[in-house]
Amino acid sequence: MKAMKRLRGLRALVEDIVEHGSKSVEEVHKATAARTFDVLEAIPPIATPAKVVHVVHDASVTSVYTMIRVVNKVVGKTLEVAIDVAEAVKDETPKS
Amino acid sequence: MGKKLELAIAVLNGAVGDHLARTGNGLATEMTLVRGGEGLALERDALAAALPSATSRVVVLVHGLMCTEDVWTHEGGADFGTLLARDLGFSPLYVRYNSGLPIMENGAALAKLLSRLVSVYPAPIEEIVLIGFSMGGLVIRSACHAARQERSHDWLPLVGRAIYVGTPHRGAPLERVGRFVAKILRAVDDPYTRLVAQLADLRSCGVKDLGDARVTLDDPRHPVPLLPEIDHFLVAGSLATDVRLAWVFGDAMVPIPSATDGTCVDAATFALPPDHVKIIKGASHMDLPRDPAVYAHVRAWCGKTEEGA
Repeated sequence: MKAMKRLRGLRALVEDIVEHGSKSVEEVHKATAARTFDVLEAIPPIATPAKVVHVVHDASVTSVYTMIRVVNKVVGKTLEVAIDVAEAVKDETPKS
Repeated sequence: MGKKLELAIAVLNGAVGDHLARTGNGLATEMTLVRGGEGLALERDALAAALPSATSRVVVLVHGLMCTEDVWTHEGGADFGTLLARDLGFSPLYVRYNSGLPIMENGAALAKLLSRLVSVYPAPIEEIVLIGFSMGGLVIRSACHAARQERSHDWLPLVGRAIYVGTPHRGAPLERVGRFVAKILRAVDDPYTRLVAQLADLRSCGVKDLGDARVTLDDPRHPVPLLPEIDHFLVAGSLATDVRLAWVFGDAMVPIPSATDGTCVDAATFALPPDHVKIIKGASHMDLPRDPAVYAHVRAWCGKTEEGA
């Protein structure tokens, strides 16, 4: 019982780490790219296309990290169900 | 494997235990009394069965940050609790808790736990001795403070002695350095340094409280005074042979002025008798809870009444 509780805790902790970690790395990713885009957007002849590319870049980065978080949630829920099943099987197994 | 797993969970609790508790994570450790590695149910019959030879003198040992009660265990398997049981007839009990929680939360929980213990203990209690290692000493101070504030805890008058082993009464400089570095990293306008600062800020409330020895909400820069009705005994470790280095670095984690609550620095505020404060030479922080020289002092302090010293 205690082992299962801890297993659930470990699953939740890994999910939290991926969730918060991906958000932090996403911010760093965008902030780093923004430095280059800021320079390009300051040059009049290429400012407009640079802004378009910046928006597209940020959107694609967001979608990639969002996908990571979605997969993380799905894997987390799947593991939760697997732990539930394992616990139910363990409870039903007669002790010899 | 069992002890290693418990230690790994204790380290995790010390690092991010406040997050684990806040999110209801199953890895968060709840405060319990432990004996022989197993949690004790605080019910009268269950406790009587678990402690068949319970005596009227109880010693409660509280571990430090990222530890379990195993931190007290010597190489031979004995510890301060079992040695006090053998030498002076104490009944040892060990507290296991989530050291990542704010110290005042653990203090309040310990106050409640001791209150419950006193009400279900299978023998009449004459005396409780509290021994805290490192953060555990601050948890004890916080528990005593909480018990006095609430005035509803019947265990406090039973506490005759409190022994603090390597406890940073005046804060831990390492945490203050970490806090300063994190503040500088946050101030730098760079996404990577901010990310490192975010990682540094993940450290638990318990770790952050250690910086200023924050045991209550009242005044983060000044801990509660040691209760005058209790005899307090302090042990500090000192690694360096040079006096000045020993003063600054102490046991490598806690400087001597912090571990002795300043009693060795300012004669004007010398609140404790000199024989209540001991400095153990050559002992590092993690050596203190299992050092024979420390136990010799603990035994002498705990045996004072009966030996009439």
